[in-house]
Amino acid sequence: MKQLLITLVAIVAALPLSAQKGLRIDEVFKGNIVNELALQESLVKGESLEPYKLKVLHTVKFTTSSTQRDRVEALFEEDMKGRLSDDDENLELEYRDGHLYYAIVQIADIRKGLHRYICYQSRTNMAEHTITLVYMEGKASLADLRKTFKKK
Amino acid sequence: MNKVTPENIRLLLTRYLDGESTQEELQQLGEYLGHADRLPADLMPYAQMFALLGETQPTPSVQALDRLAADRPSPDLSLVGRGADTNGGLAGNKSNYSSPCKGEAGRGSHRLGLLLAAACIAAFAFILLAPLRLEEESMAVAYVDGKKLDDKQAAMRMGQEALQEIFSNGNQEEQLSNIFNGL
Repeated sequence: MKQLLITLVAIVAALPLSAQKGLRIDEVFKGNIVNELALQESLVKGESLEPYKLKVLHTVKFTTSSTQRDRVEALFEEDMKGRLSDDDENLELEYRDGHLYYAIVQIADIRKGLHRYICYQSRTNMAEHTITLVYMEGKASLADLRKTFKKK
Repeated sequence: MNKVTPENIRLLLTRYLDGESTQEELQQLGEYLGHADRLPADLMPYAQMFALLGETQPTPSVQALDRLAADRPSPDLSLVGRGADTNGGLAGNKSNYSSPCKGEAGRGSHRLGLLLAAACIAAFAFILLAPLRLEEESMAVAYVDGKKLDDKQAAMRMGQEALQEIFSNGNQEEQLSNIFNGL
């Protein structure tokens, strides 16, 4: 009984931070690639996101070495294989100097009508790379998100 | 066991208390204990026990009960002297008393225990998960340098800034600005 309760509590505790479960970049969100102490992380769910037609917004930002940048980039590219299409309405992508510079990718829905997006951005300053990684899900289309978040 | 004697009955009772009785032996016990008027006094408590358990419905006669009351024998539970030696008399044999119950009654209580455990788990799951579902519907947390900030606005701001930064990449003005800044 005691063991069962402990298991139950562990499962419950793990639930809130597993929104992007099943994706390779989940390892980054979990702090398995970059030390979680170096992460700036935000997780927003629910009514605060209603104006953006989103249900989940999970972001991490960190500064890291080239080696770790390459690992994160590789994981992201793995997840990109699950993209909905190569159409502009589902994908924005740019490479610079042989590395991913930024990407906004709509990946296959888990539930009908609930769109999922993964985003990546890397900024290089000397030998360090500042990477921003985003996972979001909701009813918003990529066009909706561009309209909302793109700076004029 | 063809001849039914009090000694045989004592042996059968021992087997019964150990839960080893066959149907035939139970029948013999029932028949013998059911005729309680010719029971030895030390077997009378067992006749009553059988009556209570309802297995044979023995009905000790009035005379037998009177004789029992007159003698007031303490139930000699160590029928053939084995339980008392190993388990310490009455206390040891009390445990034997329960052995016949390990059959149907034991299984019944086991089932009841399982049901209770399942009910407890369901109740705990409901209690634990119900507030979580509410929280999951609406939550905002931020972690900076490994420290959790329960500041919803800060979490929201961090998320918005990250998205604005990423979605502005396709912005030509910003790209030009980046080029001029040597980025």
